[in-house]
Amino acid sequence: MIITKKALPRRTFLRGLQATLALPLLDAMIPAATALAKTAAKPVPRLGYVFVPMGCHHDKWIPEGEGVLRQLSPSLSPLEPVRDQLTVVTNLELEMSYPGTHDTSNSGFLSAAFAKHTESSDYHLGTTADQLAAKQIGQDTQLPSLELCMDVDPLAGVCNNGYACVYQNSLSWSSPTTPLPSEAHPRMVFERLFGEGGTPEERRAALQNRASLLDSFSADVQQLKARLTAGDRIRVDQYLDSIREVERQIQRAEHGAMNNPEPDMDRPTGVPVSFADHARLMFDLQALALQGDLTRVITFQLTRELNNRTYPEIGVPDPHHPTSHHGNDPGKLEKIAKINTYHVSFFSEFLQKLAATPDGDGSLLDHTVYLYGSGIGNPSIHDHENLPILVVGGAGCGMKGGQHIRYADQTPLANLHMTLLDRVGVHLDSFGDSNAKVENLFDEVTV
Amino acid sequence: MKTALPLLLATCVSAHVVAQEDAAPHRQLLDRYCVTCHSDRLETAGLSLEDIDVGNPLEHAEVWEKVVRKLRTGTMPPPNRTPPPIEDSLALRTWLESNLDAAAEMQPFAGRTESLRRLNRTEYQNAIRDLLALDIDGATLLPPDEAGHGFDNVNVGDLSPALLDRYISAAQRVSRLAVGTTLTSVQGDVIRVPADMTQEDHMEGLPIGTRGGVVVSYTFAQDGEYDIQIRLARNRGGFVGGLRQPEDHTLELLIDRERVELFTIEKPPEGDDHARVDEHLKARIEVTAGPHDVGVTFFKRAASLLETERQPLQSHFNETRHPRQTPAVYEMSITGPYNATGATDTPSRRRLFVCEPTQLSQSIEENCAEQILMTVMRRAYRRPVSTDELNGPMEFFREGRAEGDFDVGIGKALSALLMNPSFLFRVESDPEEVADGGVYRISDLELASRLSFFLWSSIPDDELLDAAISGVLSEPDELERQTRRMLADSRSFNLASNFAGQWLRLRNLEAVTPNARLYPDFDDNLRQAFRKETEMFFDSVLREDRSVVDLLSSDYTFLNERLAKHYGIPNIYGSRFRRVSLDPVSKRGGLLRHGSILSVTSYATRTSPVIRGVWVLDNIFGAPPPPPLPNVPSLEENAVAANLPMRERLAAHRTNAVCASCHRTIDPVGFALENFDAIGRWREHEGDNGLMDASGGLPGVGDFVGVSGLEDGLLSRPDLFTGTLAEKLLTFALGRGVEFYDAPAIRKIVRDVESEGYRFSSVILGIVNSVPFQMRNST
Repeated sequence: MIITKKALPRRTFLRGLQATLALPLLDAMIPAATALAKTAAKPVPRLGYVFVPMGCHHDKWIPEGEGVLRQLSPSLSPLEPVRDQLTVVTNLELEMSYPGTHDTSNSGFLSAAFAKHTESSDYHLGTTADQLAAKQIGQDTQLPSLELCMDVDPLAGVCNNGYACVYQNSLSWSSPTTPLPSEAHPRMVFERLFGEGGTPEERRAALQNRASLLDSFSADVQQLKARLTAGDRIRVDQYLDSIREVERQIQRAEHGAMNNPEPDMDRPTGVPVSFADHARLMFDLQALALQGDLTRVITFQLTRELNNRTYPEIGVPDPHHPTSHHGNDPGKLEKIAKINTYHVSFFSEFLQKLAATPDGDGSLLDHTVYLYGSGIGNPSIHDHENLPILVVGGAGCGMKGGQHIRYADQTPLANLHMTLLDRVGVHLDSFGDSNAKVENLFDEVTV
Repeated sequence: MKTALPLLLATCVSAHVVAQEDAAPHRQLLDRYCVTCHSDRLETAGLSLEDIDVGNPLEHAEVWEKVVRKLRTGTMPPPNRTPPPIEDSLALRTWLESNLDAAAEMQPFAGRTESLRRLNRTEYQNAIRDLLALDIDGATLLPPDEAGHGFDNVNVGDLSPALLDRYISAAQRVSRLAVGTTLTSVQGDVIRVPADMTQEDHMEGLPIGTRGGVVVSYTFAQDGEYDIQIRLARNRGGFVGGLRQPEDHTLELLIDRERVELFTIEKPPEGDDHARVDEHLKARIEVTAGPHDVGVTFFKRAASLLETERQPLQSHFNETRHPRQTPAVYEMSITGPYNATGATDTPSRRRLFVCEPTQLSQSIEENCAEQILMTVMRRAYRRPVSTDELNGPMEFFREGRAEGDFDVGIGKALSALLMNPSFLFRVESDPEEVADGGVYRISDLELASRLSFFLWSSIPDDELLDAAISGVLSEPDELERQTRRMLADSRSFNLASNFAGQWLRLRNLEAVTPNARLYPDFDDNLRQAFRKETEMFFDSVLREDRSVVDLLSSDYTFLNERLAKHYGIPNIYGSRFRRVSLDPVSKRGGLLRHGSILSVTSYATRTSPVIRGVWVLDNIFGAPPPPPLPNVPSLEENAVAANLPMRERLAAHRTNAVCASCHRTIDPVGFALENFDAIGRWREHEGDNGLMDASGGLPGVGDFVGVSGLEDGLLSRPDLFTGTLAEKLLTFALGRGVEFYDAPAIRKIVRDVESEGYRFSSVILGIVNSVPFQMRNST
């Protein structure tokens, strides 16, 4: 669609507002040409969380030694290109998830909370870390948070061991009784991010059209105001506030479109059949969402607990879940390691994309922190300790990277959640079963 | 507004009040039976009747209306206190009511609806349907509305940024679908089947001989090709459910009930992860623009009955409790158009394009555009439109015309007028000549909108609008004629789906998820059947113009096979709902026996006599109990043994003095319904605790046993039920809470409909003719 000049005069109202616009924080807050790490105001990172089910094969997962991360383990080897931004944390646990189940692996991962044992709608968990973050850093973006998954249909009823399926479906809970649905259909995600328009040109045109409609609505509301009594005019003033807020949102979206290379993705139509294609697409959508500053908090369930997907493309023709009950069978352990490595490889591809995307005075990865891991340690016995946990990115936000934090004793995963939340301005005395913060993850500069 | 009221009433007091000495017996009654608790010292429930002048009820109308309600419903004095002699209490009530009613007659007080009320989700959806002959799914376009006073059209004065944003998106989408311009590119929709829907049997709306699947009316934007892809429901292992048997399954894709594609689903070899089982369920089809029924369903295979020792369950959707026997549809995604050629003939275009430009001339096109827009604007704005008002939309038209063609221009103008406050908001403004606080009759145009949004939750049609514009609508005969015409129209089903859906809390059914261990035979099919039964039943009472009390007592209902099996009623086969005459042994009939109501008033694991009691007192009997005291802990369920009969578990309610003040009234109402379990099945026993004790009672009525006792008790007071229904209808009709100053209007309706045999139309006409409906107070 060609936008003629005729459409432009309607935008004058909007243009006038540009001066007061809140630009995305990263660009607006940092003086030009200042090295990020040296500025006093450390930017607040965006937060992402990737969940993988059914633990890992520890021998192939845990890197040698501790402190500086010199050599990656076999399962983590795909992360070599981003090693300097990677922190491996070993010996974390989810105590509240016991007695060990697949359901509480998922539900505890971001909540560190106890899941009420029930088969019906009186479920109860805890507000998850991502949602606490979204309340703090998600309020200025189009979406406060984005919840993604890979298994298309949510399960209904009871799932396992008498737990309602919501515990397995939802990673994110906005309150102890409000599980958030997650979306696996790439097109649905795309539409939440970019609205209806199909091609980038159409999306831009749709944005222009929205602004015109808003202008026209604003003018009509002003006219209406004249007909009303004093009390009712206060109401109309509230509408005018809303109009200005929506204008800011449109402006922000336009700003994003101008300053970032236009996402060169056309609307995805269906769900890709192959796991690899689907996973890459879901990661690409996250990159687009972060790049356009459409959201600053993302959760992604890369596979659901108990899943029986097979991975013949990497030599694992066996379903994941029964294989994970390896009983120390070397063949099965090898296959689990392969699945772990495969999952990590998609994550790594995504991180490399973030690292290659300029953002403010650095890359998108410099300003984004992702936590990756599972709520189960050893899948053969459903335990919730010695969890495979990675933290990546955030070099521009004070994250040290390139290290292996190895706790001597089992330490709550909640400590890590609390540390990341602290970094985005959510200061809690405790979270879940936390008992301390994770030391040395960030440079010792307070935000 | 409320503070101004006593003053207003005081001005007309002197003319009406009967001499002081007449009130002396009433004072004595109050002193003897009420002031013990409601004294200046105790002020029980924040109320003292010690010094208040009963000789002049208008001075404290708000207090006296409370007293009237308590006397009418027999809820005061409480059960453990001596009641006054019935004649004396009646005399007091009559004295109060006649004074209050006479004053209202002389000097009506209509209250004040909000001046600006946006169309809520349901109203927007219906308005688009009637304006553009276009069916949209409001739930996907707009967020849900917050309810107030039990209805979602009360708190609609706000317009948050998020809402405004969604209204803009809705305007864009609606205009795109209505016009069908060639400019829009590939779009998509995903239709999902509820995860807890059983798909083993025939689904209503699909051909006989099929089972499962889904059918939707889908509006295709343009003539062209569309991709339809189907995915099957998977279980927690990621396997497609119901593929146990080696046989193939056949899936059929239908457009307007005509087969367009057949697919075969094969059971994959052992060890396969099922990722590709439904990969091929994809077709590109050619469709004309406009609404089409898109269906996808399986061939039903004749199967011998499963041999089981137990009664087989009806529900099949969960691997752990009751696995699917055969595959089921999870979602259908529609993407297109490809090779689109625009829209030619659709219901929306027929309604919208009242003219077509005959040649490519600017003046001819603009004339035609003006004609089209004027027609839509008049309907959309619910009033005559001046030519000046065309300027804005015509500017949009010209922009669109310059970018594309005539249709693009109309599409742009349409989206602009859908964002006009005259469409999005219902505006009621005070005439200038009315004094501050004065009462005035609303204009005929405002009356037309009140009427259509009350009966249809939608905009007026042309006939109603014409009557309003010509100024005859407010004439009593014409108003009655229009009301009856609108009630006869199919759009008045809105009163069942929207009004009753909220009044009876049928909407909460969506959130009802009974515990799967205790109630394994509950699924979405049953949930939808529950709702449909109640909606169809309510609609039948309305459409056949029966007495409204028939809602409580009836010898028929509406059932399909699934629901009939649930109720244990034999010989009802098939997915279609039909009217069924009931035998008394069926235990079914009036609303209180409907599974819908019995489930929404239960917990996931058990019945709740408390919730049911409150529900009946509030929605049927008109004596809503006060909310629980803030500092009283709820009855700890774990503190009481779960294996005791419910009555004993709740006994603490009635022995603890603080709880007892309300629960002595609430609990017995709920106990009467204890023969129905948490999903509405009849039961004679409660677990291992022997025969169910369903004895109960109603204030002012007495004790009884079971649901029929409760029904008889309620039927003995048709004034209370009719008054309650009228209050709920008035709340819905006005979009504001019913206040004490509305009580005279409600009493008038109840008095008037009694002689009409409580016919439904007389109640509706009572609302329409009432002071609060026809009038409004200025600020």
